[in-house]
Amino acid sequence: MLGEEKISSQEILKTYIQRIAEHDTLINSFITLDADAALEKARQADQSRQSGDVLPLTGIPFASKDIFCTKGVKTTCGSKMLSNFVPPYDATVIANVNEQGAILLGKTNMDEFAMGSSNETSYFGPVNNPWDLERTPGGSSGGSAAAVALGLIPIAIGTDTGGSIRQPAAFTGITGLKPTYGRCSRYGMIAFASSLDQAGILALSAEDTAIFLEMMAGFDPLDSTSVEMDVPSYVEQLSDPINGKVIGIPKEFFDEGLDAELENKILDAIKIYESLGVKFKEISLPHLELSVPTYYVIAPAECSSNLARYDGIRFGYRHQDNGRNNLDDHYLTSRQSGFGAEVKRRIITGTYVLSAGYYDAYYLQAQKVRQLISQDFKRAFLDVDAIIGPTTQTPAFKIGEKIDDPVTMYMNDIYTISSNLVGLPAISHPCGFIDGLPIGVQIITPHFAECDLLNLTHLYQQKTDWHNQQPDINNTNDDN
Amino acid sequence: MSIKKTDLEYIASLSKLQFEGQELKNYTRQISDILEMIQQLQKVDTKKIKPMAHPMNMNQRIREDLVTEVNKRDEYQKNAVDSEDGFYKVPKVLD
Repeated sequence: MLGEEKISSQEILKTYIQRIAEHDTLINSFITLDADAALEKARQADQSRQSGDVLPLTGIPFASKDIFCTKGVKTTCGSKMLSNFVPPYDATVIANVNEQGAILLGKTNMDEFAMGSSNETSYFGPVNNPWDLERTPGGSSGGSAAAVALGLIPIAIGTDTGGSIRQPAAFTGITGLKPTYGRCSRYGMIAFASSLDQAGILALSAEDTAIFLEMMAGFDPLDSTSVEMDVPSYVEQLSDPINGKVIGIPKEFFDEGLDAELENKILDAIKIYESLGVKFKEISLPHLELSVPTYYVIAPAECSSNLARYDGIRFGYRHQDNGRNNLDDHYLTSRQSGFGAEVKRRIITGTYVLSAGYYDAYYLQAQKVRQLISQDFKRAFLDVDAIIGPTTQTPAFKIGEKIDDPVTMYMNDIYTISSNLVGLPAISHPCGFIDGLPIGVQIITPHFAECDLLNLTHLYQQKTDWHNQQPDINNTNDDN
Repeated sequence: MSIKKTDLEYIASLSKLQFEGQELKNYTRQISDILEMIQQLQKVDTKKIKPMAHPMNMNQRIREDLVTEVNKRDEYQKNAVDSEDGFYKVPKVLD
């Protein structure tokens, strides 16, 4: 991208800053911009380039979902609770890409505390899908996805706990990767569900994703769940031959909830892979339908514990309540008004399933079903190298359509959640359109096979043009 | 699987949240819907299955018990709403 010296880093940054100023009011994808600091880093990048001191990501602007701590730059997690929080340190993934010369331009909008599938729960307002401004971009990394899709930033970091990178990538027509659990550090990533959260990337192609992932991933002693494994060169393996690879098609992914036209697009994508030499076979993941209830026990349970730290004492929102002089009231009022509705629902659900008398029936049972789901995938991967299916049941839905019915909203995650429960890496890449709305196809591989995900996607993207399509914001449906 | 408003009030108190009036009714209904959905897990036979707390088979890493952090209290306390001389200030706990 920046390899040829036809343009300076400062010019590139100014172009993106200009595009954000012109178009972000339509989609609301950024919460905070750090333009001055970014331009200064760009100036330094140009100087470095002139003296031949070039790092792998020198001068590349990126955005970060507002869930990663960025030193000196406000980090809100999409919540009133952290609306004025300025971290005193960088998350490791942020530090990693910074050290390789990347330039943070801003923090993107997201569902509050990463809880949501539509970016409608953000304290900072919903994000609009650049393909249709009345529709959601998906969530919870909706801001990152929308910004990349509209060309406001070339690449963004997000997080995926139940599909929060892949689903918005599918809804906005871009490439979204959730690495293996433990591949990227969670240090400095504001915790939602600690056994499920994973940092990942939203970009316009597998190639861009590979370049960034190489620098972002890696063992971190500060994260006790970080895995001590070398990071391969994803870029070098992008064009490896895929003839003879076997991909499984789980029959459970093609259920009655799946839109019929969307199913056809997935079958089209399968035909493209067949033309590249990939073989397909039908497989079964018998416990897949249980992945949503399993997740909605485990994730809220972990979130109720992780969000206990928000007490308005050491950081975060403190409710200023005159006349009250009672610590308990302080906690109650600060948390009641600092958190939004979905966050409170999940804290309550989590507290319930962990409470005395219910722990065995709910939480322990969910952990056992999680084991069953994991066994399904282990069995499947004895026969196949990867698994393919839709990322979502439908294209992007309208803002307001599902927000009042939590269970309907939760069902959005049916195809993505299982890979989080098992810690598997997965990618979503564009494979077509339905009525002008992008569609994503998802591939899942065994642990630490991100190179295969990127390799398959790259070769697909060499043969197709879906990932090069960009919304024309001037013609986007924006009926007021 | 519906829960009573009193159950919700109790659970809320455990997590330091407080609902009243219409909000309490709405949350009671929504949480009941969610619990109804997760009831599906009850029909699964898991007698011989070990629980999976974590996607990878990992053990907690340990390290040498050496001091590696530097005291940065003043920097960290910049985010506190109310602090003084290195202490966090809270409403009175004891009379």
